[in-house]
Amino acid sequence: MNVRFLNPFVEAAHEVLEAETSLQMKRGELRLESGPYTSDDVTVILSLVGNVEGNVFYSMSQASALALASRILGEPLENFDGLAQSGIAELGNVITGRASVKLSEAGFEANISPPTLLQGRGASISTLDFARLVVPLISDEGTLVIHLALREGIQRRVTTASLPVPERPVLPAGRPG
Amino acid sequence: MNVRFMNPFVEAAYEVLKAEARVSVTRGNLSLEKSALTADEVTVLVSLVGQVQGVALYGLSTAMGVALVSSMMMQEFNEFDDLARSGVAELGNVITGRASVKLAEAGFVSNISPPTLIQGTGVRISTLDFARIVVPLSCPLGTLTVHLALREAPTGKADGLVPIPEPPGSIS
Repeated sequence: MNVRFLNPFVEAAHEVLEAETSLQMKRGELRLESGPYTSDDVTVILSLVGNVEGNVFYSMSQASALALASRILGEPLENFDGLAQSGIAELGNVITGRASVKLSEAGFEANISPPTLLQGRGASISTLDFARLVVPLISDEGTLVIHLALREGIQRRVTTASLPVPERPVLPAGRPG
Repeated sequence: MNVRFMNPFVEAAYEVLKAEARVSVTRGNLSLEKSALTADEVTVLVSLVGQVQGVALYGLSTAMGVALVSSMMMQEFNEFDDLARSGVAELGNVITGRASVKLAEAGFVSNISPPTLIQGTGVRISTLDFARIVVPLSCPLGTLTVHLALREAPTGKADGLVPIPEPPGSIS
C-alpha cells in the first residue's frame, strides 16, 4: 500500500463531507492492517482500475450512517432504508471520484467501479495479499473509516508513443512519390 | 442488467472450474433480484470497469471452498485457512478475467479489479439500483452462485483507452 495514495482520499473526504454534510472531520491514528477487516454495521466497497488499482472501503456504524445520510439528504431519516443506503453509497462514490481526480493530477489515471453496499457487523472482509491503510475520520456524527488497499497498476494501456512506426510503403515505379 | 453479459460468465466459470478443479458445472434456473442478497458463507467480489461495468459476486459454502481448493491445489485442506481463501479468491479472479476477455470479443472492453473475499453468513450485500441476475452453478462439490450486476457504461463517458490510430492514408 503506497502512502502516496493516502492524501488524495483524505483531502477528498474532507472536501466532500464539508460540502455535503457541513461536518468538519479530524483525521485519527493511521494504521496498516494485513489480516481481514471485521466489518462495522455499514461498509461501502469501491474498486479502482488503472495506473492505481485496488479496493477502497468506507465503514461506519449504523447510527453514523443514518446521521450522515440525513445530513446529505437534508431530511431526518429513521431507518437505514433504500434511500439512506443510496445516500451512503453515493457518498463513497463521490469521495472516491474526487480522490481519483486528484490521483490523476498526480499522474495516476484510474476509473472507478460502481459502489457495493455491505450491511452486517462481524463479517470478515479480506483483501488477500493487499495490506490496507486504515484512516479514521472523526466528526460530531461519529467516525467514518476509510480502508485503502491500493497499489500501482500494471501498465495495460497503449500510448501512441509506444506504438512501432510502420515501415515506409514502397511505391510501385511510375507513381508520383 | 443485460442478459448478454451473462453467457460469458457462465462459459468462463464452466471452463475454469473444469480446467482448475476438474469439475463440470451445470446451470440451474436463473432469477433476477433487486433487493440485497444475504451472503453465503463465502463470497468473492470482483468489480468491472469500462464499457461494461458493475460487480460480479461468487457465493459458495465454506465446505465447497475447501473441496475446490483441495482439488485445485491437489492437497487435502481441512479448514478454510488463508491459503484456501487465496485459492477461492483467485478462482473468482480467473473466472471474471476469462469472462472479461469474452466480453471484449463481443465488443465490451473492460478491466477487472483485484478480488475481495467476504466471509459471514447473514451479511447483506446490495448492488443498489443495479438489478442482479442470479445464476446457480451446480457440481458434485456443491453449488457456486454467480450474481451479476452489470450494465453498459453510459455513452460519452471517457474510458481512458487510447484508440489504435488509423494506418497512414493510402496513396490515391
